[in-house]
Amino acid sequence: MPATRWVDLAGQAIFHTLVAALVIEALIRLWRVRDPRQRLAFRLFVLCYPLLVLPLLVVLAPERASDDFREGRALFSSQRWDDLRFLGSGLRHWWVGVFGGMGLALFLMDLVPLLLGRRVGLPRSAPPVSPQGQAAAAALEGVARSMGLRPPRLVFVEDGGPVLFCAGALATSLVVSRAAVDLLDPKEIRAALAHELAHLDRLDPGVSWLLMAGRALMAVNPAFQVVARAMARDAEWRADERAAAATGDRLALASGLLKLFRATEGRPAPPGRRNLPLAAALAEPIARARALDIETRCRRLLGPAPAPLPHGAARLFAAAASISSLLFFVV
Amino acid sequence: MTAIGATRLERPAQGMARALGTLVLVMGAAAAALATLDAVPAWVQGEPRGVRKAASVEEAERRLKARLFLPAYFPDTLRWPPRAVRLVVEDTTSVALSFDGQDGTPALVLVQTVGGPGPISPMVLPEGPPLQSSPLAVGDGEGTLSRVVGEDGSIWHEVAWTKAGARLALRGKVPVETLIKMARSAHREGR
Repeated sequence: MPATRWVDLAGQAIFHTLVAALVIEALIRLWRVRDPRQRLAFRLFVLCYPLLVLPLLVVLAPERASDDFREGRALFSSQRWDDLRFLGSGLRHWWVGVFGGMGLALFLMDLVPLLLGRRVGLPRSAPPVSPQGQAAAAALEGVARSMGLRPPRLVFVEDGGPVLFCAGALATSLVVSRAAVDLLDPKEIRAALAHELAHLDRLDPGVSWLLMAGRALMAVNPAFQVVARAMARDAEWRADERAAAATGDRLALASGLLKLFRATEGRPAPPGRRNLPLAAALAEPIARARALDIETRCRRLLGPAPAPLPHGAARLFAAAASISSLLFFVV
Repeated sequence: MTAIGATRLERPAQGMARALGTLVLVMGAAAAALATLDAVPAWVQGEPRGVRKAASVEEAERRLKARLFLPAYFPDTLRWPPRAVRLVVEDTTSVALSFDGQDGTPALVLVQTVGGPGPISPMVLPEGPPLQSSPLAVGDGEGTLSRVVGEDGSIWHEVAWTKAGARLALRGKVPVETLIKMARSAHREGR
């Protein structure tokens, strides 16, 4: 396949995903989609678009690549931007390059720390013989039973700061530190454990690897990278809602979240958790973004559980069909 | 049915109608934004929508997958390469090569169709009633020699003819003998 065709396809993948993402984000806001499961479903369509819908369009409608289609029927033809030239290259080539670079940077910002984190591995587990360890094990057992789940392997960490997270795609485990048990009261511990169990029940650690594989395939697609990150936040909200429903105590989860955030603010991420490269240089904006994220989650938990939008599936289908139809005419 | 019951039944329908209205509004805004983006390059270049530019004769040939007619005779008074290569892709594609004179002013346009002897698009060669027209032999075929109003408002000469299934026109502010000589020397590379 000639290089111009590759630029054409890469440009379409980037531009189509961008348009699909903007339309979906506008609909999420205008329709006030607050249920995290529905938000995930809407955003999943954006991720599926360049991976499934666009390849189908390319294979099933080859006439879209013809000049007749571009000149006569297309609503937008990116080739027109090649008529405007800068430093000897068409502007389309420039924006494919710039957007591709942005996408790659966003992808590497998450991939590199992930690979480094895997090399470090999970923190060393200690047998939960201390009162805190036994309390964590008992709480985990109780919460898992109340959620109808099998308790995962508990990795109890005696040293260091407060940490509480789940890990593992196939062999899942839940990491809790002694400092976290000291920090949180029993209700907060139960709520935080329920949150992590909700992640494990939805196989979120494994799904995040699948998402990473999709991001690798679309490494040069910035809209794909941004939406994939937004989905990770939606997955957190979904786990929050599940935990709040399981424990019946939204405030305990919010206060636990806040305590853990305050206790870990400014500290480096524990081994096994992701951190961004150039974290020192980006420390302030990252801290601000993290604080905003925590604040949003806490505010959500202070209110009642969000009601699902009526006719969510029909709305998603209508949006997906409309976007696919519109983008058929974008080449 | 009670009035309260009727109101309750209306609400989901109203909600769906509002949701549909929002979807139509968002999709309409997206379509309008895309159409605007599509029109920007033509607007920046001051060309009508539908006219595409190629960087060179070779790029135009590559894009059209066809060889273009070029004059073997090219007078010193004109600058090579062409200042602009413009295409209008329709059922029959029209290609216009615009040449400047050595003084840098527009001096000649060579227009041809690719893919059939259909009419030349007026987007690349504005039509106007010829001031005077007479038949002219160009190679083995017949053509016309006309006097027309050129793009700078002065009187230009135009030779139009058909060759090898393509319609061609040379319109220029050059001596008529030069124009005829160029028309008669037009050929496709490799033929």
